[in-house]
Formats: sequence, C-alpha cells, structure tokens
Amino acid sequence: MGVDLFEITVNLVKMIFIFVMMVNAVPLLVWVERRGSAFIQNRYGPNRVGPLGLVQLLADAVKFIFKEEFVPGKGHRLVFYLAPVVALIPGALAFAAIPLSMPIELGEFSQIPLGLFTIDLGETYGPYRFAFQGYEIGIGIVFVLGVSSLAAYALLMAGWGSANKYSLYGALRASAQTISYELALGLSLVGILLLFNTFNFKEIVEIQSQALTFSFLGSQMTVPYLPNWGIIYQPVGAIIFFAAMFAETNRLPFDLPEAEAELVAGYHTEYGGIKMNMFYIGEYGHMLVASALMVTFYFGGYTLYPFFTPETVNQFWSETMGLTGNPVALLSSLSLHLVFMVKLVIFLWVFIHVRWTLPRFRYDQLMDLGWKTMLPWALANTILTAVVILIMRAAWS
Amino acid sequence: MLGAAIPFYILSFLVLFFAYKTITSPNPIHCALHLAITMINLAFIFFGLNSPFIGGVQLVVYAGAVMVLFVMVLMLFDLKTEVRAFSRGLFSSFLKVASSGFLAGILIVGVLMSTDMLDVTSDSVGVGVKATSSTDIALLLFNQYVFAFEVLGLLLLLVAVGAVAVSRIPGGTHAND
Repeated sequence: MGVDLFEITVNLVKMIFIFVMMVNAVPLLVWVERRGSAFIQNRYGPNRVGPLGLVQLLADAVKFIFKEEFVPGKGHRLVFYLAPVVALIPGALAFAAIPLSMPIELGEFSQIPLGLFTIDLGETYGPYRFAFQGYEIGIGIVFVLGVSSLAAYALLMAGWGSANKYSLYGALRASAQTISYELALGLSLVGILLLFNTFNFKEIVEIQSQALTFSFLGSQMTVPYLPNWGIIYQPVGAIIFFAAMFAETNRLPFDLPEAEAELVAGYHTEYGGIKMNMFYIGEYGHMLVASALMVTFYFGGYTLYPFFTPETVNQFWSETMGLTGNPVALLSSLSLHLVFMVKLVIFLWVFIHVRWTLPRFRYDQLMDLGWKTMLPWALANTILTAVVILIMRAAWS
Repeated sequence: MLGAAIPFYILSFLVLFFAYKTITSPNPIHCALHLAITMINLAFIFFGLNSPFIGGVQLVVYAGAVMVLFVMVLMLFDLKTEVRAFSRGLFSSFLKVASSGFLAGILIVGVLMSTDMLDVTSDSVGVGVKATSSTDIALLLFNQYVFAFEVLGLLLLLVAVGAVAVSRIPGGTHAND
C-alpha cells in the first residue's frame, strides 16, 4: 500500500477515483449510444432535456433511483439482490488493473505550488512512484482474464434468482456463450504473450513504445517511423480477440442472452430501476475493459511511437516548456493519459457503431462461429506464431 | 508482516466458512455458488502468498470455467426432489458434518506429521517466491516436480473413468435398486 500516510492516501484515492471514473463513463456512453444510434438511423435521439440532450442522463438517473423495487414472488431474495452487485465487480476489478498512463515518479518535495500561492507542508515527502492504475499486478493479463470470467455468475444468478423461464434461458445462453468464447479469447492472447514475453501490461506497453524492431533470422531489424505495435505482428489475433470481446460483453451481434424478440429481456427481465442500471454499468464496464485491453495489447497502450512516448513527452515538458522537477513528471503522465483516452474512445465508438450496424446471430451460428471458426483460427495463429518466433529468434550464425 | 497476515487470516476464515456452507447448504445451487466463492477466496490467498500466477489460473480455470459449468448444469435440472433429499433428517446432516470433520482431521494430522519432512522453517515461502513468473513455474513443473505433475494427470484420468462408470449405472448415483 505505501510507506507513509501520503502514499497510502493517494493509493486509496486512486482506487476510488478509477471506480468512479468507470461508473461515470456509463451515462456518457449511454448518451453517445443513443445519439449515435439516432445518427446512424437518421433520427434525432434525446435532444429535449438540456443542450444536446445531455441532461437527459441526470433525469434518467433520478428516475432509476426512485423507481419502485420488488422481488418476484417465487424468486430467491438473496440471489436476486446479489446479482446486480456481482455484475459490477468484474469490470471494476479488471479496469483498475490496466495502466492508464506511465507511472508518476515524484522526487522529494516540501511544498505544493498552486499558481499564486504555495502550501508549505513543513516536512519533506518523497520520493514516490505512483502507478497510473488502481493497483499493479505482475501478471496483469491472467488477472484480468480471470476476473472478467467471473462475469458469468452475475448473469446466472440473475436468471436463476428471478424464477422466470425467460430469465433462465437468457442466463443459460449467456454462460454458454461466455465459456465458448473465452477459449478463443485466451488463445488469441497467447500470440501476444509469446511475442512480448511477459504478462505485465506496463512492460507490454513499454515494448510497444519503440520503433518497429524485430529479429529476422537472428539479425536485428528496425523500421523507423513505424510503431512496434502488436497489431503489426498479430493481425489475426487482434481480430479474434476483438470479436471474442464482443461476445464477452453480450452486446450485439452477440446479445442472444437478452434477445428481446425471443426472451423479453433475457436475464434482466425481472429487474427494474437502479438494479437494472447496475447491469448496464457492468456491461459498459466490460466494454471499457475490452477497449482498454485492445489498446494495450495491439495499439501501443498509452504511447504513440514517433510523437508520444515517455521520453518525448518528458523532453517536451522539461526542455520546450522549461519546467523542472515534479510538474514534469505529473504533466507528462497526464499527457500520455490523454493519448490513452483518445484511443479508448475510438474503440468505444467502434463498439457502439457495430451494435447499431450488424444484426443478431442465430444461436447455432453463434456456436459455429465460436467453436468451428474462431477456435481453430486462434489455435493456428498460436502455433504459427510459436514456429515463426522460434525460427526468427534462433541464433543463425 | 502483520499487514500481510491480517488479510490472510480473514481470507482463510472466509474460505473455511464458505467451504462449510458448501457442504451443509440444503440447496445444490447454493452449494455450487458457495464453492465458487471458496475458489475465488483461494485465488486471492494465492495472490497474497506471492504466487499471483497460480492465483490467476485458479480464477480462470476453477472459478471462471469449471464452476460456471457446474452452476449452469445445476440450474438446467429441476432439482426440487434433490432439495428435499439434501436437507432430510438430522442424522444425515450429522453424517455429512462428521465425515467432513473426519477428512479435515486427516488433513491436519497429515500436515502436522509431515512438518519434519517438509523444510518449513528455513524457507517457508520458497516455492512461492521462486514461482512468480510463468517461466519459473514451467521449469519447476517440468524439472523438479515432474513426477508429481504426471501423477496428478493420472489422477484426473482416474476421475474421468470413474465419472463414465457412474454415468453407466441406470438411475445414476441415486438409483433405488
């Protein structure tokens, strides 16, 4: 946690801040989704409450909180109440483990300058190193995969606790789908693991922040002006990973668990008000995690090689802007965070665009795609990557 | 040291509590959910004991895949008769608690008797510290512990054969004749 009170406080605030960030991204994403779908379908969308309909979200939140809440007569009270809470956990835990920018390395300081006046702290603090994420875990990938695989419980508990056949059908479909696509998801990541030789997100991003460098038959090749991104080595893996992530988030074209034409609303048929909203937060949290993982594994994380890398940003703030010490560390970390956020938003928009563009799969098509197409392709990708890496990295001399 | 010990004891208590609830719950689905919570707690104990890889694998394989399948299958069946069979009678629940206590006793005695054989005092978290990265785990599994690893595989094969044998009995495990 930390050595002194300052570090412990900052670490705790960071965790809360990232959770709040995830929860607060949801209304904005809902707004983007509704306006975006209206844009795609040539309608207006919410545009009456506030400028561009932005205050609609606030009105929705108030309505969600004050709606009547009830438990179905034959439902299981505890399981029914627990399910929405469980739905929040996987997304929050996984999102907190992903680095959103480079760590902030603070030197010693005894006062905080705030523009016109300074706060004198009296004693010297530091040096500190704050990771720009909820908590650092050495084996980030395994942890995120493990935690996000727990999402199936929320759906199963919701479906079973409602004592409703439609809910149960939705829950069963959801868990079958999650388990099927988790295989392809895990296998598509093996290529990245082999390539970068680490489970750690930070190390993966650091490797991707250089120029395109690879060993070709034992000799080192460098392509300047091209970033060392995972997508260049693993295009098939990236496509399979992205498609499997769609299935994990239970969104169109994989939203059979809540197919409203067949199952009313699937596993959350019996939920209303804030409890249904919590399922939504879970789903959008999953979307955030999926986009963040996509950015981290295949698109350079919080770096953009020729322009925004830890070195160039540091150089900009210290040499061009003439700053020294702790402000440089803070500002360069924040600038890289902005780079990450821009990439994240692009992928979130892809998620929303796909949802309003593609039709839903039939159930047998879903299973065929998962087991007969994506799994063999992911396996072939893994084997091919392993063989190619073995040949290319061998000492040929 | 105390900072690491407090979460460990809390998690251990939770593991024992939910494992107990797994055995004694009258409803099979509650049993399965309790078992899932036990698995998740166990994973977090591994995280605390400097073995994050094992913890992560525990989460992915047991909590994420195996238990989800269990819960799914249990929900598919109509288990109303099972609910009654599980909770029937003081005697059978006494038997259940007694047998689990017996097994726990065997485990405790086994650990206590084998402390001389295991070199616990000098390097108590030796394996955990060595096995932080996947490379180390692979090397340990395929060099030092290769025999135990293969025997475990054989055990799993035995379980699979046993499951096939049980499923061949007409009426399953609850056959009347």
